[in-house]
Amino acid sequence: MLPILQIGPLALPTYPLALLIAFWTALEISSRIARRSRLDGDHLYNAGLYGALALIVAGRGAHVVAFWPAYRVQPGEIIGLNTQAFLWGPGAIIGACVAAWYIYRHKLPWAQVLDAAAAGALVGLIIAELGAFLAGNGIGAAAELPWAVELWGVRRHPVQLYAALGAALTLAATLWAARRGLRGGTAAWIGLLGWGVTTWLVEPFRAESATILGGLRTAQVIGWAAVIGALWALRTRAQRAQTPGGSSSRNR
Amino acid sequence: MSRMVWSLLLGLAVVLGAAGIWAGRVPQGSAGPPNGLPPAPAIGHPAPEVSLTTTAGETFALSALRGKPVVLNFWATWCPPCRAELPELQAAHERYAGEVIIAGVNQAEPPASVIAFAGQVGLSFPLPLDVRGDVSRQYAVRSLPTTFFIDRDGIIRRIQIGPVTEATLAQALQVIFP
Repeated sequence: MLPILQIGPLALPTYPLALLIAFWTALEISSRIARRSRLDGDHLYNAGLYGALALIVAGRGAHVVAFWPAYRVQPGEIIGLNTQAFLWGPGAIIGACVAAWYIYRHKLPWAQVLDAAAAGALVGLIIAELGAFLAGNGIGAAAELPWAVELWGVRRHPVQLYAALGAALTLAATLWAARRGLRGGTAAWIGLLGWGVTTWLVEPFRAESATILGGLRTAQVIGWAAVIGALWALRTRAQRAQTPGGSSSRNR
Repeated sequence: MSRMVWSLLLGLAVVLGAAGIWAGRVPQGSAGPPNGLPPAPAIGHPAPEVSLTTTAGETFALSALRGKPVVLNFWATWCPPCRAELPELQAAHERYAGEVIIAGVNQAEPPASVIAFAGQVGLSFPLPLDVRGDVSRQYAVRSLPTTFFIDRDGIIRRIQIGPVTEATLAQALQVIFP
């Protein structure tokens, strides 16, 4: 386990560093794939950056609202550098809305944008899960398997590696869809399907999970909903393609 | 693929997916101490035992505090972020007196200098002295300050690396003192 990377006098926290690398890599790959679809890759880059900025501002804003009595006593901490002082859920929602607004504002084709973003996001996810494995974040449940890893005297599922493998297989499927010249948006739906299946499969192997409704694992429920939504969309698109006079794969 | 195949796939996803979620649910009442986990400085594990002498000459034993949430902060006088967070820890000690134990484990400094510093700053919460650094090594403290939030059952529920602020302390305390 390597929660801190010691480079000379610098002690860098491994997981936040991995997230930073994951984010930049995802942006870079998304913009390159967008250029191959004859989109302006800089727009995807900008959408990602604006979304990330909004994520940070909204995440801090939500924390300030949630813990206002504390910030009233220490108003300087509203713009402080404490990396724990964020609520990432509300921040992610606002960040996604800002990125979507940017795409809408510049009249970018949603299908191609989502296809490019899906591949980039999956690469980012692989890097993030590998970083979590190194840092010992999001550890797996106890297991006696040949490939179990020992953490603090307990052998555990390397659940982060399971998630990374699922993301890698999903990435292969999305890239295959893109190379086949399938209708715009298909790669993104395949990406969502793969992510949903991976999440549904992997979550029960985590040591701790957020739960709802008396013990159901929240991430597993979300993954299941993603699978159903993606299958529904792919079914609808396939039926439209088969309908006489319906659109074909040249509609990219 | 035909409409029937897609519909079959969808149906399977709904049924098998729901069954998988039900089979993988977290058993109710499992929020208590995990069975059989060894003590370790990791979330979900029982906190390793701490037995040190404080600046007041008293024995500080973590096991004796079972039944109350504990905030175990590792610090040193030479560490600027540690000094910055001490007022918040002192305020929390006064606010939650008797309900939450705030303790500041000083890392490898002469007791006399820690006592003098505590007097200057006005600290009244327990300051166990880890003179040889054994406890810091046991808790794998790699940077200061590091704070462990331990629940009533002695299980570590949150670890914060870096200084706590009023707001992050309030957020972390929600986990061990809801």
